[in-house]
Amino acid sequence: MSLSDDAATRVEDEPVRKRGRLRSRRRNIVFSALAAIVAVAVVLVVSLAGRDDHRPPARGAGKAGPVAGGTLRYAIAGTQVSLDPAVAATAVTGLIDRNIFDSLVVQTGADSFGPWLAKRWAISPDGKTYTFTLREGVRFHDGTPLTAQAVKASLDHVVDPATKSAYAASLIAPYEKSRAVSDLVVEVTLSRPFTPFLQALSVPYLGIQSPAALAKPVAEYEPVGTGPFSYVSWEKDKRVSLKKNPGYSSPPENASHQGASYLDDLVFEFVSEDATRYGALTSGQVQAIAGVPPVDAERLKSLPGFTLNAQETPGLNYNLYFNQTRGPLRDVRVRRAFSAAIDVEGLVKNIYFGHFKAARNPLSPTTAAYDAGAESARAAYDPAEAKRLLDEAGWTKTDADGYRVKDGKTLTLVWPFWAEGNKEQRDVLAEGIQAQAKLAGIKVDRPTVDTGTFVSKHLIGGGYDLIDVSFARPTPDVLRFAFASGNTYAKAGGNVALVRSPQIDHWVEEAAETSDPATAGRDYSAVQTEVLKQAYVLPLYTPVQLVGLSGKVRGVTFDAQTYPVFHGAWLGA
Amino acid sequence: MPPLARWLSRRLALTLLVLWGAATLAFVGMRLVPGDPARVIAGGVQAHATPEVLDAIRERYGLREPIVVQYAVFLGRLARADLGESYQLNQSVGGVVLEQLGATAALAAGAALLGFALALTLALLTAGRPRARALSRAVEFCAISTPNFWIGILLLTVFSFHLRWFPVLGDDGVAALVLPWVALALPIAGVLSQVTREGLERALDQPFALTARSRGATENRIRLRHALRHAALPVLTLSGWALGELLAGVVVVETVFARQGVGQVVVAAVNGRDFPVVTGVVVLAALCFSLINTGLDLLYRVVDPRMRQAAL
Repeated sequence: MSLSDDAATRVEDEPVRKRGRLRSRRRNIVFSALAAIVAVAVVLVVSLAGRDDHRPPARGAGKAGPVAGGTLRYAIAGTQVSLDPAVAATAVTGLIDRNIFDSLVVQTGADSFGPWLAKRWAISPDGKTYTFTLREGVRFHDGTPLTAQAVKASLDHVVDPATKSAYAASLIAPYEKSRAVSDLVVEVTLSRPFTPFLQALSVPYLGIQSPAALAKPVAEYEPVGTGPFSYVSWEKDKRVSLKKNPGYSSPPENASHQGASYLDDLVFEFVSEDATRYGALTSGQVQAIAGVPPVDAERLKSLPGFTLNAQETPGLNYNLYFNQTRGPLRDVRVRRAFSAAIDVEGLVKNIYFGHFKAARNPLSPTTAAYDAGAESARAAYDPAEAKRLLDEAGWTKTDADGYRVKDGKTLTLVWPFWAEGNKEQRDVLAEGIQAQAKLAGIKVDRPTVDTGTFVSKHLIGGGYDLIDVSFARPTPDVLRFAFASGNTYAKAGGNVALVRSPQIDHWVEEAAETSDPATAGRDYSAVQTEVLKQAYVLPLYTPVQLVGLSGKVRGVTFDAQTYPVFHGAWLGA
Repeated sequence: MPPLARWLSRRLALTLLVLWGAATLAFVGMRLVPGDPARVIAGGVQAHATPEVLDAIRERYGLREPIVVQYAVFLGRLARADLGESYQLNQSVGGVVLEQLGATAALAAGAALLGFALALTLALLTAGRPRARALSRAVEFCAISTPNFWIGILLLTVFSFHLRWFPVLGDDGVAALVLPWVALALPIAGVLSQVTREGLERALDQPFALTARSRGATENRIRLRHALRHAALPVLTLSGWALGELLAGVVVVETVFARQGVGQVVVAAVNGRDFPVVTGVVVLAALCFSLINTGLDLLYRVVDPRMRQAAL
């Protein structure tokens, strides 16, 4: 089309304009429709045509040994507000800091620990004093040597209220003080015996930091540890770059690789959009992604040149908790009726395509002291039993909508929906639960709430009947976190069912203090059985970390906390 | 005082009023949001902060003071161009925003240029030509009614993931900016080109166009020299609107394309209830709006001689 239309034609057009307009409008509609069809077709053709091109070479092309060098880009969802592991509670921070910081001890199994920065340790008979002997010759990235003083500085930094620790401090609540016995021996005193202490020390949030770096003003904080990678830069909301620590000499006891890492650079890219992250992996712009959407997991598995890694998270499953202090749920029969009304297995299978497993226990199966036998105490899916229990509890009448009624009140439960915290299609699962509860005559209200309301009115104010949450941490001590009467949310705990049971308190406290594993195991089993019998909790599914890797990436392992370990990772051809 | 200076000083006073209003609204809005700010600062819902930590935070940020005192402190700081300190980032708000401003400015400015260029080209080519106009209108309506988010995903899928022409990650050069520019520019271009064409067609129907033709002016000359100037006024008016669209679109586009920038800062700050950052960005956005609108009003006077004679 050219700009120089014949001017004369335009002038001649004028007299017949009225009719011409009518006709052209009809033509316009035809044109518009055509244009739309063409546009859609172009997009489809281009996206289909592109699909089979550019496939990366098939995996397993050669069996050569590890190659040093290269940059691994790992795209992760979410972002973080601080790189200080002692401050942050975000999962992203733990994931990144794991590569910068070493811990005193390493978790080697469900309930076993091995030497890391501490080559050995001793626990006093009363269980209150831990004496760690440190490795010699370890240096922080800034050159500061690792000493007992450094360990003391790190732990004191965590519990200092000025640090504003959102998570780390709660892991070592009984911490009292540290004392440098000699250059390489540090003695930590607790206010009470606390067996989960070693596990707490093994997480990245309690990694050992350079005292020189901690002494700097907060605004100039940079993470300086002894780990296989050192900090380079943090471009806010975009990426964190790390580089190889060439002098790395302190891998944990169970490490598959000794010495410095193979990779030159390790870059964490923040990509919050699921589709973008997935596309970035399949098009080779990044070599690994966290949080593969379950709906894409099957597709990724079948793509040549890519692997899907699934890690079941240890700790508390994604569970629905019943507030047993309020309304109809004070009656254990109503709680068990709700539990029996929901076909958790069916829902989880339909929504997650088999990538997440339905749970039957508040604990995930990979957690120490997980007791598979406890599930027999659970009110399993049985709609007839649900009806019977509701009748027995006095909810005998039904209203016009089919909901149960007692003393003129409809059986209504409030389950606040905190949209910002929604992930893994949990909202869809909740809709399924809502629909099945309705079949049993239970009305579930799902008011959407913002963060402030969620915390102040619901979590702290107790204004809810049902609440859903998951909590990953590889220790059965999470049962104390979730069910001890003193651990309500307002007191920095996770007892959202507001359980007040002296029996459960006794079990979880004894288990945390005893040095006898058999006693602890018995206690933890008893708790699992009791909370299912009392129906304080309805287990939903075990969260799974779905990590997508390019076939070029070799040697990535996962630690007990399901963090990927890049120390021994390398890039193949 | 010359009229122009008087006009400018009045605009400056108005700008200050707008800033004060925006700052106050942001302050009140953030205080009306339910929830304990101390808990928010401690890390939000996921946090397991002990009461001692919460107390230390209240002390540190003056959250125990009556709300009126907090407001006075806030305004006092604002008057000294101090936007306060971020709750979460241990950094001054000005620093946080300045650090990210470059990335966002590059994105927004490029998108605005592209949007205007596209709109002008389309309008000039299709004004007064029914078939071309119909086709272009269909495309424009598609662009206007498709959310930025979806345009972004489509562009990414086609041009980054399948054709691999433009990277999204790992490259910070101009290549990584192309798709975000297009995603932001398309909806704006859609609206602007409709308005421009409307204005052009109206101008082409005016007697002066006929006069120009009768003097033997070419169509190109008529469109570019005569009609475009008349069509420019409504386009200028809409530019203010386009700026708003850009600011809103930046938030979405930065998320989809995993770019850093002010949009990301705002999203994180709103989610994390980082009050100082939110109010800081609101104040800066209000300032941008005021300045750009003042600039546009000045431009009116350049484009339209009648404005120069009108009472100031």
